[in-house]
Amino acid sequence: MNIVVNAHNTFVATGGCTFDSKKPTVVFIHGSGLDHRSWALQSRWFAFHGFSVFAPDLPGHSLSEGNPIKSIEGMGQWLVKALKVAGCESIHLVGHSQGFLVALEAASSLGVKLKTLTAVASALSIPVNDSLVETAKKSPEDGADMLLKWGFGSHSRSGISAVPGMQPIGIGRQIMSSNPLAVDLVACTRYINGIECAKNIQIPSNVILATEDKNTPYRFGMELADILNAETTSINNAGHMLPIEAPKKTLDAIKSFILKNSE
Amino acid sequence: MGKSSFFDLDTIALHSGYVPDEAHGCRAAPIYQTTSYVFDNVDEAAALFNIEKGGHIYSRMTNPTVAILEQRLAALEGGTGAICTASGMSALFVTFMTLCSAGDHIVSASQIYGSTATLLTHTLKRFNIDCTFVSINDESALSSAIQKNTKLVFCESIGNPGLEVSDLPKISRVAHSHNLPLVVDATFATPSLCRPLEFGVDVVVHSATKWIGGHGVAIGGAVIDGGEFDWGASDLHPTMTEPYEPFHGINFWEEFGPSALTMRIRAESMRDFGPAMSPHSAFLLLQGVETLSLRMKQHVQNAIKLSKWLLEQPCVSWVNHPDLPENPTHQIAKRLFPKGAGSMLCFGVKGGRKGGAAFIDALKLSSNLANVGDSRTLVLHPASTTHSRLDDAAMKAAGSSSDLIRVSVGIESITDIINDFKAGLKAAEKASS
Repeated sequence: MNIVVNAHNTFVATGGCTFDSKKPTVVFIHGSGLDHRSWALQSRWFAFHGFSVFAPDLPGHSLSEGNPIKSIEGMGQWLVKALKVAGCESIHLVGHSQGFLVALEAASSLGVKLKTLTAVASALSIPVNDSLVETAKKSPEDGADMLLKWGFGSHSRSGISAVPGMQPIGIGRQIMSSNPLAVDLVACTRYINGIECAKNIQIPSNVILATEDKNTPYRFGMELADILNAETTSINNAGHMLPIEAPKKTLDAIKSFILKNSE
Repeated sequence: MGKSSFFDLDTIALHSGYVPDEAHGCRAAPIYQTTSYVFDNVDEAAALFNIEKGGHIYSRMTNPTVAILEQRLAALEGGTGAICTASGMSALFVTFMTLCSAGDHIVSASQIYGSTATLLTHTLKRFNIDCTFVSINDESALSSAIQKNTKLVFCESIGNPGLEVSDLPKISRVAHSHNLPLVVDATFATPSLCRPLEFGVDVVVHSATKWIGGHGVAIGGAVIDGGEFDWGASDLHPTMTEPYEPFHGINFWEEFGPSALTMRIRAESMRDFGPAMSPHSAFLLLQGVETLSLRMKQHVQNAIKLSKWLLEQPCVSWVNHPDLPENPTHQIAKRLFPKGAGSMLCFGVKGGRKGGAAFIDALKLSSNLANVGDSRTLVLHPASTTHSRLDDAAMKAAGSSSDLIRVSVGIESITDIINDFKAGLKAAEKASS
């Protein structure tokens, strides 16, 4: 569906079902340079099992209009506004990498509407290597290549796909190359509020980590889990691009946590 | 390094799509000879059927061995995904039927494989899908042929049988300026010699039966989705951008973006038409893929040496190979095929039909048959076989001639191939004298 946020058309994937703001809503926030498609194999399950799905493309990304937002704080405010426009009443936030930083920022403004928080391959802060940022500024394609080379785990680098016949590296590259990757990476690097935001989280939290993650290494994810006092799930043979690399295991971990906290 | 792998092509050919399985550590990709797959529970089954999860349901749609080949071919071409089919023709068919509906139109190169021309001229017409054929490198003819209901532009990277090379960057520019995808049959080149996606092509189709398999033991086809085409940029592609009722109104473009075409072919054409590749065929074709670059090197070297030798023979009237300056598209071939423009060549033997037939019958090493892309040298005299009912004028219109010998140059010793051809040419000379 399309909604208007800050006078710009925003595309929001709804998992293949009509959005109903009265239902509990699972909000999926994509990572740097990505879009709603990174959640294709998680969002549909929720949409067809009693939840509404709200998976936006952040401004200036893929199917959403507007300029990309330059700070995680700004993205968090934007998300709160978008959820207000959609009229969401009961919210489960799920964020991948940068998307979880955005979720952390939005959390304090959502009050009692926010029921759970899930981090997928993320950390309290995500400082990005200078050379990656500079490369992405000069050439989104080269930046995407560099990020994905680190981002994918050993199985995906060998061309293994959880969806038969697909090449996740090619899919990731296509999406990242056409999105404002450099803007997102700079926003990640500058973000320092993660610890403070995490300390204030009082709702059930879930941290899903990949053992081969080089972008937000496993131990940083565990630090996040400690501060949130979160449930944790570790997924082997996968890297930072968890929702794409290990879609079923990622879904299972999100699903069991949200279902348990929806009773 | 390709767009969908961090390995070089030679490594992709051997490794992509498979790591030794945890249960047995099988080094070679196993043959999963099964029709179907056990579901964990009813909910799991429902989720798979509704594309909520990825996985195998039934081998008409997906199979683990076939998926390895698909992932490997997608990586070799630099695409976002691939669908393997029962044959090259079914790969073309599912592509056309996914992008076109009744009332739609295709613009195709006129110099294409006979069966593809028949599909476009007669078979699809029965479903009210029309085709206009053009000289594909003629930019203005191509532009003029595009209509409001045109859904795609089609050509072969190296045309069959004329061996004309399509100027892919130029053709893709024209197609894209009309919001149309360019679909290219790249069978004659393989990703070892040319990766069409790097030249603006959107969808690559192969008859994997030919050089990709390379051993003449399995029939198969493949469609590789480049993933870059913006299906949402116009309203020309409703099969990609409008709700699809059988999957609760799924919009493939919005849902899957760079893999929308692959997902739609899988969900619709493989399910409804059912042209599945068998796991055993996929295994055999994988063996071919592993040595593709080595074989193509030898194929090309032999083709060029044989072409040059044939040019020197008094009873040969003409020789056609894109790497020869005599080929009208030689300059394009140099640009798009720096490693060589394949191993198909044609030549004219003096003595017309009689001479051609005598040449073929005298060969001992080369095989007289209707296939190309085997590792063995294959020959065919169209005037005596595939085009035997045509007179000279009709043959010319079909891009052939009574003296034409088509050769798919193999990887045998070039000395032995030349010796075989010497005997053939001697017989042709005798027959025509």
